[in-house]
Amino acid sequence: MTETLPATATKRRKATAAAHADPGSRSVERFAYLFVLPALALVVVFRIVPLIWGLGYSFTDYDGMSAPRFVGLDNYIGIAHDPVFLDSLINMLILLATLPIWIGLPLVLAILIHQGVPGGKLYRAVYFFPAVLSSVIVGAIFNVLLRYDGSFNLFLKALGFSAVDWLGNSSTALASLIAVQLWSTFGMSLLIFLAGLSTVPSDMLEAAKLDGAKLTQTWWYIVIPSIRPIIEFAAVVTTIGMLTSMFGLIYVLTAGGPGTSTILPEFLIWLEQGKMNRPGYASAISMVLFLMMAGLAAIQIRIMSRNADI
Amino acid sequence: MKTMNRVLRSGTILAGAITATLGAMSIAAAEDVTLTVWDWKSGDPTTTAYYDKVKADFEAAHPGTTVKFVMQPHDQYYTLLGTAIAASKGPDVVLVHGGSQAKERIAALTNLSDKVADIKARVAGWDEFAGPDGSPYAVPISIQGLAVYYNKELYKKAGLDPEKTPKTWAELKEVCEKLKATEITCFALGNKEGYGADFFYSSAAANALTPEQQAAWTAGDLKWSSPEIKAIVQAWVDTQKDGWYAEGANSTAKFMDEYQSFERSENANTIGLLSDVAHWKEFDEFLEPQNVGVYVMPPVTASVNQTLKMPLAGGIGYGVTKFSPHQDLAIALAKSFADTPAMQIFFEAAGAVPSDTAVDTSKVESPSAKVVLGSLSNGAGLLHNNTSTAETEEWHRQSQMLFTGETTVDKAVARLDEVQAQAKKK
Repeated sequence: MTETLPATATKRRKATAAAHADPGSRSVERFAYLFVLPALALVVVFRIVPLIWGLGYSFTDYDGMSAPRFVGLDNYIGIAHDPVFLDSLINMLILLATLPIWIGLPLVLAILIHQGVPGGKLYRAVYFFPAVLSSVIVGAIFNVLLRYDGSFNLFLKALGFSAVDWLGNSSTALASLIAVQLWSTFGMSLLIFLAGLSTVPSDMLEAAKLDGAKLTQTWWYIVIPSIRPIIEFAAVVTTIGMLTSMFGLIYVLTAGGPGTSTILPEFLIWLEQGKMNRPGYASAISMVLFLMMAGLAAIQIRIMSRNADI
Repeated sequence: MKTMNRVLRSGTILAGAITATLGAMSIAAAEDVTLTVWDWKSGDPTTTAYYDKVKADFEAAHPGTTVKFVMQPHDQYYTLLGTAIAASKGPDVVLVHGGSQAKERIAALTNLSDKVADIKARVAGWDEFAGPDGSPYAVPISIQGLAVYYNKELYKKAGLDPEKTPKTWAELKEVCEKLKATEITCFALGNKEGYGADFFYSSAAANALTPEQQAAWTAGDLKWSSPEIKAIVQAWVDTQKDGWYAEGANSTAKFMDEYQSFERSENANTIGLLSDVAHWKEFDEFLEPQNVGVYVMPPVTASVNQTLKMPLAGGIGYGVTKFSPHQDLAIALAKSFADTPAMQIFFEAAGAVPSDTAVDTSKVESPSAKVVLGSLSNGAGLLHNNTSTAETEEWHRQSQMLFTGETTVDKAVARLDEVQAQAKKK
């Protein structure tokens, strides 16, 4: 860090101004816009336009059959008083509270593999394998394992414990669901961390070793700070995944029950749209979920940008 | 000038040829019609012969018409249908469940009142597909209902007379106590999606409510907190506490985990259907016909009928989408699903109780089928068919929470009353 931040910014501004003054650069810029155009068109057509449509529907009583009727904020007021939606928010907060496990577990395993534990390559393959399975297949497998008369309870009984209705009991259903989703997706974060760890300079690690640093000190003071942007990236991606990729598993494993114990907002959106024939109301929930996710992502990206400047 | 004339002549000939070709093409296009039918059954091996017959007969009677069946996944069916309806694009003819599923989609279906007069008397089950004014919006093809099927071998093991079925709630409790004493689970139950609870309250209500009360329920005027319904909700909790079901009902799928456990003789009774799946024909195949018995679930409170009536309704039926460009053909196709020769196959191959009263059922040998067929002339209402989707979803949730002890009967019925009132407002 030999240069101050304002000095860097001034330099950047000058470079940009010079580039704008150069007619050759301008044509390159135009050409660059041309390359961006197809991707931009896809985002506009498949993301922005549906989002605006959804926003429009969220102010109507649209039932998928009759013409939509404008109802103002009725859907949003309904959501605020809907006990199922409020329960789904609580479930979502519980899920988000487990984020440290979603990051910590693959990080620790990635560091261990990176440090060269015996059989590291095998572990890497084994941990990553579930990530290639679809959530429906994962759900079907764990349905057999976790059902009341399933393999897991048979094992517990063999050990002298009593069986637990993992998926049929409100106190265990969400935890079971989170554990299964974690099992099936942590391999992806592990790979990201492994890629990040390969960029940690080996001379720094050797220097720490020579200085007599303990393994935990090396991790805490060298490895983790070095891959901090990677950890933050994994946190953003995992958070979005937690809020938008649990549907398949919920659908197969618990169908949202028992009661509302495993209903997350994304599942509720499907329930309202697909089963209750209320696309207008479902759109309003979608908008609320979108705003919450956008807020979370903005906070996380802000933290990432701040660290990138350091 | 000559050249100009030649060019004009060639141009005229070419234009004429193009016009003639396009004209011929449009005539051919007008003649060749493909009718798309959406359902969740046409891929089922037991119904293949029925669908083949309908398609062959209809295409023979309507040259140039092709019938195309598109089987959609059952659990996603109404989501997909909703999308098609919203886009006004897709199927010409659609299969729908009778009751609330059909009635909530009537706005998208063609009114068939002046089109089905010729089959109205022969086919039964129209009420489940009728609009508020009584007009039919789909042609029923099956009669659906609920019955308790039981395993006679397990009854014998428990020292029960397998030919004597319970007629009152007290007698049913006695049966379950005896089975429990012999370590046999009384009822198979899957309530993962809440369907087990649907079947329970519909069965228990069939002979507990008068026709007037059934009508009041359909209109949303008979509350969940009314003594009749609350007694059923209380019985739902009590039967679980009394150990009628195996552990893990909330994580057991009704279709088909519950029925498979019954077919494996792991429990003595199950509330099954009359048509489609989980019915007499399926149980006969697994447990042998002489080992399968059937009875009507007695009401929790005093029966309003002298002899117990089986809860019945029009099962499934075919409607025509309003946006279909081939209305007449589509209506003819919807009606052809209820043609007697096809219905005969539907009954014999799939074991469905046909809506067509002209089907010959006299050759059936299954003892349980005979009981079912003998009950058709005088049935009771099928309550859950006439419950709003919002209430049904809430009941699914409450029924599970009643089992886990997260709510009480009072709280559950109060919440259901709220949802019922909201549904009625709409």
